[in-house]
Amino acid sequence: MTDKQYAKPGEYSIVDMLAVASAREVKDEEVVFAGTGLPMLAIMLAQQLNAPNSKLIYEAGTIDSKGDSLPSSVGDPRCVTKASVASGLFDVFNQLQRGKVDLAYLGGAEIDKYGNVNTTVAGDYFIPTVRFPGSGGNPDINSLARRTVFIMVQEKRRFKEQVDYITSPGWMVRKWPEGTLVHRREAYGAKFRGGPSAVITNMAVFRFNEEMGTMYVDTLHPGVTREQLQENTGFTLDFSQCRGETEPPTYGELHILHDIVDPEGIFLPSVK
Amino acid sequence: MIDKRCSLQEAVQMIQDNDMITFSGFVIWRRPMAAIYEMLRQEKKGLHLVEVNSGTHAELLIGAGAVSIWESCWIGHELYGKVPYCLDRKMRERSVIVEDYSHQHMLYRIAAGAMGIPYLPTWASRGTDILNPEYDMLEKMGLRNGANDRIPVKKFDFAQDPFYNEGEIIHVPAVRPHVCIVHAQQVGEEGTIRITGQTYSDEQAIKASDQVIVLAEEIVPESYLREEPERNLIPGYLVDAIVELPWGAHPTGAYGYYDVDGPFIREISAASKTDEKFANWMDEWVYGVKNHEEYLNKLGVSRLEKLRANSYRKYSTKVKRGTR
Repeated sequence: MTDKQYAKPGEYSIVDMLAVASAREVKDEEVVFAGTGLPMLAIMLAQQLNAPNSKLIYEAGTIDSKGDSLPSSVGDPRCVTKASVASGLFDVFNQLQRGKVDLAYLGGAEIDKYGNVNTTVAGDYFIPTVRFPGSGGNPDINSLARRTVFIMVQEKRRFKEQVDYITSPGWMVRKWPEGTLVHRREAYGAKFRGGPSAVITNMAVFRFNEEMGTMYVDTLHPGVTREQLQENTGFTLDFSQCRGETEPPTYGELHILHDIVDPEGIFLPSVK
Repeated sequence: MIDKRCSLQEAVQMIQDNDMITFSGFVIWRRPMAAIYEMLRQEKKGLHLVEVNSGTHAELLIGAGAVSIWESCWIGHELYGKVPYCLDRKMRERSVIVEDYSHQHMLYRIAAGAMGIPYLPTWASRGTDILNPEYDMLEKMGLRNGANDRIPVKKFDFAQDPFYNEGEIIHVPAVRPHVCIVHAQQVGEEGTIRITGQTYSDEQAIKASDQVIVLAEEIVPESYLREEPERNLIPGYLVDAIVELPWGAHPTGAYGYYDVDGPFIREISAASKTDEKFANWMDEWVYGVKNHEEYLNKLGVSRLEKLRANSYRKYSTKVKRGTR
């Protein structure tokens, strides 16, 4: 077994698959904005492999840190270790608005076929069935970065025709005060920079047809069938551009993830 | 020189019922927890919280019924509890009004307050339901009529960029809190604040507020802070009360001093699932202890020593964080 060989099913967890697939989205030299959790694993893995010169901005205000202990949160002192700058929110959100961020990882409770994400409430806004934590920086990052990648759980109730509440803007967004759904290019005009480019779940990788503003299946993770994926999705999936199977993690990637990036098992389940 | 040093009880007495309040910190980092506990013991009511982001501290205030309005973008305990059970429950009971903004909106609202201007423009979060005029909750409750000088008459406004013709931009109204409660690593005898590590949105929160209460790990001589003024964040004349309170941010963490107490926050999150369990937790850890010293004694030396930061690394190397 060599570092470049693919691991077999059973030798890696679904979290490993998510982290590895997400890491592959980073290009070298990019400025990447990350929040707490799996995004941290993805960018740290990418910095060890495909994007050694990418720069990482943590949402709470640290820039290009080079720590050797995985932060458990973006507010963690571990984000400050050997950083280029430790400042605050005003600095990093201004940079985001200024157009300095190439890529950001985000998450959400619900997503729809346009890539609109809900992290605010389930059900009616006034009498919700569940109150989620709220937007955080999700919609700011998603409206101001050039590209965003969503890491999500694939479930029928989470993948909806249309989300109950648009917390974070996808490709078809609301134009106020009427609230009509329009293409993001129309809503953003001169300040259009891009938008969601991928959704990575425990079952598949999705991408977007930017003109139509809709999601399509790019690759299915090893062992997942089209029927299974459709059963776990609340809208009819577009397989017309499906390229086949997602590349599984390699032994080398798993080693870096488990032994270098998260040896304490903060975000990674301990069973490989 | 006015002596700003006082007891925690005296400092918290500066806060009036129905005041608009904001805090230092970020989610579960550098929150003025000892002051939160004391606010609960003094039974503050009707508070209007405005925060760039929220966390464990606000869940406690909301769960105890001390809050009537919450304006922010996020609430939870991060890794130690994703669901804001107290806010969820109080929202359903209609005892708390929730006004949702985005992170950047709240940040710019507080920055506008700090700059002494009525609003700031931003491109952030266009196309979302955060801007839905139907979801302006303070308007729905009839509170945007100008009667309360801390509540702006609109949630948002929109204007065409008048200078570069780049389209419609959002205006977010300034936030003007009565009190900002800060946890800092060091404060001088006259109030100069030194914050190490990330400063989050502390500078804006402090400068936007009428009064500032600082809980510090250490009170140090002003002359010491003035040896390296570039490391200081806030001049003393912006500060009204100073309390020296080691471990004053526990269970949240403080750069260079201690890590987040994850298991403790997880217990708060679990207890907050029902009113009864939450009341029991509050009886044990808030109402059942007289003051901060009793709270620390109850936590015990070994628990605190595990959290203590390594002086070189600025975080604890003894705390177990993951499953390995």
